[in-house]
Amino acid sequence: MRYLVLFKTMLKQEFILMRRYLFNFISGLIAIYIIFLLIFLGARALGGGAPGFGATLDAIVVGFLVWTFALFAYSDMAQGMVREAQEGTLEQLYMSPLGFTRVCLFRIVSSFSITLTFNVVILLLMMATTGRWLHLDVISLLPLILLTLAGVYGIGFIMAGLALVFKRLESFIGILQFAMVGLIVAPIDRFPILRYLPLAEGSRLIRGVMAEGLSIGTLPIGDLLFLAINTAFYFGCGLLVFNLLLKTAKNRGLLGHY
Amino acid sequence: MTEPVLEAHHLTKVYKQRRGNDVVAVDDISFSVQKNEVVGLLGPNGAGKTTTIKCLCTLIGPTEGEIHINGADAIKSPRLALKHVAAVLEGNRNIYWRLSVRENLEFFAGLQGLPIRQVRSHIDQLIELFQLKEKERTEARKLSRGMQQKLAVACALVKGTEVLLLDEPTLGLDVGMSHELRFALKEMAQRGERTIIVSSHDMSVVQDICERVIIINSGRIVTDDKVSNLLKLFQASAYRFEIEGRLDEHQASRLQERFEMLKISEPDYHTEIEVELINGSQIYEIMEILKAGDSCIKAIDRREPDLEEIFLKIVKGGAN
Ligand SMILES: Nc1ncnc2c1ncn2[C@@H]1O[C@H](COP(=O)(O)OP(=O)(O)OP(=O)(O)O)[C@@H](O)[C@H]1O
Ligand SMILES: [Mg+2]
Repeated sequence: MRYLVLFKTMLKQEFILMRRYLFNFISGLIAIYIIFLLIFLGARALGGGAPGFGATLDAIVVGFLVWTFALFAYSDMAQGMVREAQEGTLEQLYMSPLGFTRVCLFRIVSSFSITLTFNVVILLLMMATTGRWLHLDVISLLPLILLTLAGVYGIGFIMAGLALVFKRLESFIGILQFAMVGLIVAPIDRFPILRYLPLAEGSRLIRGVMAEGLSIGTLPIGDLLFLAINTAFYFGCGLLVFNLLLKTAKNRGLLGHY
Repeated sequence: MTEPVLEAHHLTKVYKQRRGNDVVAVDDISFSVQKNEVVGLLGPNGAGKTTTIKCLCTLIGPTEGEIHINGADAIKSPRLALKHVAAVLEGNRNIYWRLSVRENLEFFAGLQGLPIRQVRSHIDQLIELFQLKEKERTEARKLSRGMQQKLAVACALVKGTEVLLLDEPTLGLDVGMSHELRFALKEMAQRGERTIIVSSHDMSVVQDICERVIIINSGRIVTDDKVSNLLKLFQASAYRFEIEGRLDEHQASRLQERFEMLKISEPDYHTEIEVELINGSQIYEIMEILKAGDSCIKAIDRREPDLEEIFLKIVKGGAN
């Protein structure tokens, strides 16, 4: 019951902020859309006439979509926490008797539901631009996206913890979000070892569903299992490391802005 | 004697430093606070007030010692203890700038696990008490500094905890705002609903709302007493003599020799001696010195010290 109250509270906060800053929200949408447009036009200029370009295009759209998801997930976690530490609300969150980790998890779920809305809009815009309507098999996609992002959140947790303890890491963490592009387009087919990284296998499977019309039923069970284990590993490690770093931060008096 | 709501035993906090010496911010502090007490925590910059307060609300892990809040072990089971303690921390925002006054209050109640239904009337009361009714729907970032601080305190109160910790609540507020906040705190205290620990550099705030003060210096408790006792104690020992004309050299040097806490000033045609006596019999000594030079005493009175002077004496002068 108290947990439900906490969850509703976090969700409500996210929605209030989104509504209040609708302008920011929309301009963010437009910025991402413009980036996408540039990539898309660039790709067409380079390989427009080549056979099979359609499939590449699909891959670009899907890849970009996964990237926006991951970007929100990551920056929400790591940068959001650093910002709250600086502004002095983190200590208040930490003092919830319902547990700080739970506060963070509920916040993640809340902000994810907003990201989801955001991304549906972006996706529609992208599909309209490219003129290629992708396979939107929601039943297959949602679990895949959740599984993929949970891994990213795990990394986000670690980065958030690191940022609290080593305040100077902030800019590094900002830069790291671009490294995610590499993970998304990782050529797993050529270098299977890359599967072990976070985000890589998940985005490959999402690509399979959206661009190649596969469904969660027709994807190899082994691959799904691998993704689940991969995600569980990164998410679990993320939480574990985060809690260790949090303890360090607490011992050094770093939860605030000393 | 009621049960203490808050107890700290041998609390010690050492900040390990990679380079240079480790900082002992809190050095074996023990105290307990009874239900509904309002205690002031005083000390010069770097004395360890903030560190102590953050240990009490589980934001800092102490190096050694024990803390119990309403019976809950704040170190072993912080979440249990956090049901009973809320804090407004120094120099922080403590509130969300992009949420309105009411939204902030609802958020912090929710963070404590209290459903809105249950706290609605409490929130109305707090808005009333802190005179924020007109700004209820205004985003916190648009409020004045003083209103933001009042909101931060209200957000801590809405959690309904027995214990409230306030670290420098009036810092940076103008006189009017400081008084308004003080008024609200006094109101809370008088209703006898909360146990409050408040740190401040503003002695008038402490003198105004606290019954008891704990003074810490370099991480140690140097005084822990009722404000009224301190005032009485220092009043009893502080005297002011007014003499016609001037003291002769011999008198002046004997006074300087005998009394450490002495101030001689010579406005117009008389002399003022302000002196701190360690025991009652010293007054005869002064009289003798004055008599020896045939000085004519125009007035003797006890000086009324305020908490500020007492504080300075305890911290700097080493008086007991
Ligand atoms: N996170 C930290 N890491 C290392 N040293 C710290 C940390 N926080 C405080 N200190 C040091 O511990 C000592 C006590 O600091 P603290 O902030 O508790 O004092 P304070 O009484 O609140 O002072 P002020 O009146 O200036 O607020 C100081 O020497 C300070 O430099
Ligand atoms: Mg302080």
